[in-house]
Amino acid sequence: MVKHKDLSIEFCGVKCENPFFLSSSPVGSNYDMCSKALETGWGGIVYKTIGVYIPDECSPRFDNTRKEATPFLGFKNMEQISDKPLEKNLEMMAKLKKDYPDKILIASIMGENEEEWKKLSKLVTEVGADIIECNFSCPQMTSSTMGSDVGQNPELVKKYTQSVCSATHLPVMAKMTPNIGNMEIPAIAAVKGGAASISAINTIKAITRIDFNHYTAMPVVNGKSSISGYSGKAVKPISLRFIAQMAQHPDLANIPLSGIGGIENWEDAAEFLMVGARNLQVTTAIMQYGYRIVEDMISGLSYFMQAKGFNSLDEMVGIALDNIIPAEEIDRDFKIIPKIDEDVCVGCGRCYISCYDGAHQAIEWDEDNRRPSITDDCVGCHLCMNVCPIEGCITPGEVKFKEGRDPHEVIVG
Amino acid sequence: MNDKKKYLTEAIKPYTPLLAMEEASRCLLCHDAPCSKGCPAGTNPAKFIRSIRFKNIKGAAETIRKANILGGVCARICPYDKLCEEACSRTGIDKPIEIGRLQRFATDFEQAIGMKILEAPEATKEKVAVIGSGPAGLAAAANLALMGYKVTIFEEKSTPGGVLTYGIVPSRLPQNIVDQEIRYVKDLGVEFKLDCKVGKDITLDELKSEGYVAFVLSIGLQQPKLINIPGINLEGVTTAIDFLAAAKPNNGNIDVSQNVIVIGGGDVAMDCATTAKLLGANKVSIVYRRTYEEMPANKDEVRYVSELGVNIIYGFTPKEIIGDNGKVVKLKAVGFKDDSLLELKADKIIFAIGQIAENSKEIADLNISIDGKNLVLANEETCETNIENIFAAGDVVNEGKTVVEAVAAGKAAADSLNKYLTSLREVQSDDTEVVAEKKGVK
Repeated sequence: MVKHKDLSIEFCGVKCENPFFLSSSPVGSNYDMCSKALETGWGGIVYKTIGVYIPDECSPRFDNTRKEATPFLGFKNMEQISDKPLEKNLEMMAKLKKDYPDKILIASIMGENEEEWKKLSKLVTEVGADIIECNFSCPQMTSSTMGSDVGQNPELVKKYTQSVCSATHLPVMAKMTPNIGNMEIPAIAAVKGGAASISAINTIKAITRIDFNHYTAMPVVNGKSSISGYSGKAVKPISLRFIAQMAQHPDLANIPLSGIGGIENWEDAAEFLMVGARNLQVTTAIMQYGYRIVEDMISGLSYFMQAKGFNSLDEMVGIALDNIIPAEEIDRDFKIIPKIDEDVCVGCGRCYISCYDGAHQAIEWDEDNRRPSITDDCVGCHLCMNVCPIEGCITPGEVKFKEGRDPHEVIVG
Repeated sequence: MNDKKKYLTEAIKPYTPLLAMEEASRCLLCHDAPCSKGCPAGTNPAKFIRSIRFKNIKGAAETIRKANILGGVCARICPYDKLCEEACSRTGIDKPIEIGRLQRFATDFEQAIGMKILEAPEATKEKVAVIGSGPAGLAAAANLALMGYKVTIFEEKSTPGGVLTYGIVPSRLPQNIVDQEIRYVKDLGVEFKLDCKVGKDITLDELKSEGYVAFVLSIGLQQPKLINIPGINLEGVTTAIDFLAAAKPNNGNIDVSQNVIVIGGGDVAMDCATTAKLLGANKVSIVYRRTYEEMPANKDEVRYVSELGVNIIYGFTPKEIIGDNGKVVKLKAVGFKDDSLLELKADKIIFAIGQIAENSKEIADLNISIDGKNLVLANEETCETNIENIFAAGDVVNEGKTVVEAVAAGKAAADSLNKYLTSLREVQSDDTEVVAEKKGVK
């Protein structure tokens, strides 16, 4: 019998059975959805953002980008916060907490002014939420007093965080917008306002595609469209970067982070943990595949911990941070020459094309035998390895030191 | 789907745009794509698959159509596994790209949107005649029209297309695809004279007197091959040519018998078995003298007929056909390599063991060189015969290879004919200059 690892982790002083949470979005819109998710194994939910404001949604409101035949590289949505009455949402939250006392309920709120933020903070505290998330970051609100317009303004972030904190004893988490250069600035503002935690990222303002019949963005809403939030696998690298930068910032040390953006399997999850996230939130992959994806996240992460010898998620959190260093500190003394396994090679010549057209013309092509060979002009950029369609065909080979550099031990990836 | 509908409907489903993209994404996009060296007709799969991958389906259709006037036909019936797909680098990983289906996707798209890719210049060059409207003739005619010749195809049957129209089963090659591609040929200005057998309804000399100065002989193989065994003349014994030529133009509305035996092991035999089975035969057997490995039919077709419930018997050759009241009742066959005996009940026996050519001396020119099998002796690369203004292409030269090879030969014949007439024109203009000089005009 396989023994699974304990994936529990403490977040903002709250013990979570696992770090996998729904993020505040359509996937956690009502009691039934959240209940099904929790039954499937999610550790907790961030209930879809509630507010006093009730949005008027458009149709259609989603689009996705593809590469070749792969759908959902990225996903665009135009939905705003919950369109249900506040009382109804509070009722459902209360029932969730009552029916699932061991699962974690995070209430996501969004106000238009200090009074609303305070009111919402008080209400969700009363229904039994474990944590409050301030949504400072939805990029498609139809009012500029809400959403990412607020998140881009550190003073407002601080002020509203203070309002929320003043009306609750619960830990408060501020959700950041990526539509900004330095996320550390509003994050620090939120912490100064009393936030115990930062979550990131909300969606990225985007245009996915242009519709060639109506000459507007997608989705087409009666001939028009708007810039709105982009999420999913495509945004993961951007999110990882924001999380890492916040985790590395001295003013945010010891501030627990919740990572959001393109998580769909245990590998994505492990990556977020390694750059410093203690909690993980998912929407897009659930919208595409359903709540069941958490099963393989739990199982896969557990197997990974066994394989790597991690006994708890705590041991993984932030483990990569010390190795992500400024560009000027990178060891530039050597080049690693790739080696090509001629037996595995099928002779497609993609490495040859890319090396010529995109790198350093350091691969020669044997027309007769249809095989590439690497020349002395190779700079060790490894573009060939990136484009080769064959697993294990091109691998890192000899380490060559640049002239005048002292040879030393080199870790080869 | 009922069997009649199955007979008339293409067995292999078309790709949707997404499936085509998925398949095109499997392509390694090779630097020196071996698939593109594998096509006799010179189609460039590497280029058209890349076009599909980069969302330029019109560009893909253009690449195909420019190389092959019968691109949609070949997409369906080419032995890809022995040509471009055999060379595919992806085979080194798992399985080759389905080049044929991608070609079909692009040519279907072309047809669906009514794309017009080829445009012939004004026909200012000489009148030329193409004899026979099968794949070689169609390809020759189209390419000649594209070079500016006034081209007429002479066809003895009432519908053009040759083996495409009268042979290949619709579940592999629906007639609307054949008709569409013949329309492309017509759109280039090629004229079709149907129900007109050269050598009988009109002679080559008469054509010459009408102003035709060069000819492409692409008459295919019209006569069925039979073997001389007892009972061969019984009612119920027929040939693949006659059987298929009755079925397809009638949309399958023919009477097939209950117990059908097909003799042979090529694609034509498979087509006969498919036709018989789908058009109502109770039991269909194929009797082939050699082994599964040696059987020339496309293995996908062998699988297809097997799935239809056709029984394939290997290693037997017909010995005698037993009749009753002049009608077939039984086939007796004997082991090809031993003396095993086989008796099968039959009320129809279809011989699909190949075809032979008609005598080209009677059709084209008394002096044309032919061999003992009536095959025209022509240079397979240039299609030149011993008569300078007659070029021969396709099955009548190569004794029946693939449609794509017939297309390649038709293209080659067009090139050679053009070269021939071009050089004649140059000689004539030189002569005119000489005459002019003599007259002191210059």
